[in-house]
Amino acid sequence: MHARTLSFFPNPARRWAATALLLAATLLASVAAQAQAPNPKAAPNDFVQAVADNALAAVKQDEAVKRGDLNRINQLVDELILPYVNFEKTTRLAAGRYWRQASPAQQQALVDAFRGTLVRTYSGALAQVDQVSKITMQPFRGDANADDVVARSLITQSNGPAVGVDYRLEKTPEGWKVYDINIENIWLIQNYRNQFAQQIQQSGIDGLIAALNQNNLK
Amino acid sequence: MKNNKPSSKHRRTGLAATAAAVLLVSGCASVESPHDRDPWESYNRGMFAFNDTVDGALLKPIAYAYRDLTPQPARSCVSNIFGNFGDVWSALNSMLQGRGHDFVNTLGRVLFNSTMGLGGCIDVATMNGAYKIRNDLGTTLGVWGLDSGPYVVLPFLGSSSLRDSTATLGGAAAGVSALTPVFAINDVPVRNSVLGLYVVDTREGLLDADEMVNRTALDRYSFIRDAYLQQRDAMVNQRRSGSDALPDYSDDDLPDYSDAPGATTQ
Repeated sequence: MHARTLSFFPNPARRWAATALLLAATLLASVAAQAQAPNPKAAPNDFVQAVADNALAAVKQDEAVKRGDLNRINQLVDELILPYVNFEKTTRLAAGRYWRQASPAQQQALVDAFRGTLVRTYSGALAQVDQVSKITMQPFRGDANADDVVARSLITQSNGPAVGVDYRLEKTPEGWKVYDINIENIWLIQNYRNQFAQQIQQSGIDGLIAALNQNNLK
Repeated sequence: MKNNKPSSKHRRTGLAATAAAVLLVSGCASVESPHDRDPWESYNRGMFAFNDTVDGALLKPIAYAYRDLTPQPARSCVSNIFGNFGDVWSALNSMLQGRGHDFVNTLGRVLFNSTMGLGGCIDVATMNGAYKIRNDLGTTLGVWGLDSGPYVVLPFLGSSSLRDSTATLGGAAAGVSALTPVFAINDVPVRNSVLGLYVVDTREGLLDADEMVNRTALDRYSFIRDAYLQQRDAMVNQRRSGSDALPDYSDDDLPDYSDAPGATTQ
């Protein structure tokens, strides 16, 4: 029936209509692809790749970032990466056995204070991005059905060797959340455990919160 | 060798440096509860502060000047050429560890970069997906079963462990290291210039990491120590077990580190 309706049009008009339709469809599809947010319920590798690609694309396009504006990079990290990071868990694990000694108010203050450090860590990595930077996921190892997995990636750039970056993810009801990051064999949480313990031993949990906030002002 | 004029100046700076080191080491209060892998923390912190002073006064400004004055392709070329020599050293260590695959791959990188990459100036191997496989004598000793031993901060060289510093200093004393080809240069001024360039290039490569540590660390000393130990452990463990051991963040008095809702603040 549809074909018969179309056949009423002369041939060139039909071809034009088809082309226009195709063009509109392509346009719509590309808009949809651009606006597509990473899906936390996808496979860990696909999810991390989507988050990273989003962030890389934004950093490459941004004029302020090109001028070396660190605040702008921090803002992009806040918008594009932090929604997929469980920094509450990151903070809790970094605090280790001291977490339970903290009051709920202190725990919240600690999470808020450490957030700045995490943002600066991610933005420090993003600040190195150049126009050819690319993230390549490494083959997924381990049990894909596990609740605690590692997605491994390699970031390549125009100058300098490739940098290995791994993400440790946990499965939550809302999908995957990153809670630890490994840059060139250095896990972030592991690297803060002693610093946290040291500061708490010296000046208590409030002292640690104050020190982290002090760092955020730098 | 050509004239003796600078020697008195060198002696003076050397003396000043030693005095500063002694001052810093003795001035540092002993650390109450040292990290179990850092029993020499008091000394190490002193040496760390000394290195930082030397670095801030001398190396860092030179590295920044080098970065500002030299075009990026030239700097890349310099790093890549040193990296190419480094690859030979890495390949040798891969062989010593019985890692034939890494040995052949790294040797392939050297051949490819030395020819197509114009004497190592361009890292064409990396561009073609043959990534650098770092290796060194300290890692080799670790793969052979030698424990890292205590963490130690070396004067000028920085973070190391007893095992790694034995490898570095022993290798240098025996004349086998990544820098062997440089030490083989007979012309002293040329050799020293190349060594100087190596130091400046290495320091320039660390500027970004250094800035990142300054922006994120609560305590620079602990941050750098723990990063060093983690990285070195991973180098050895990946080669011994063929896989990455994930850090275990659970604590003895906190057996349920699972993500039970009760354990979190909401």
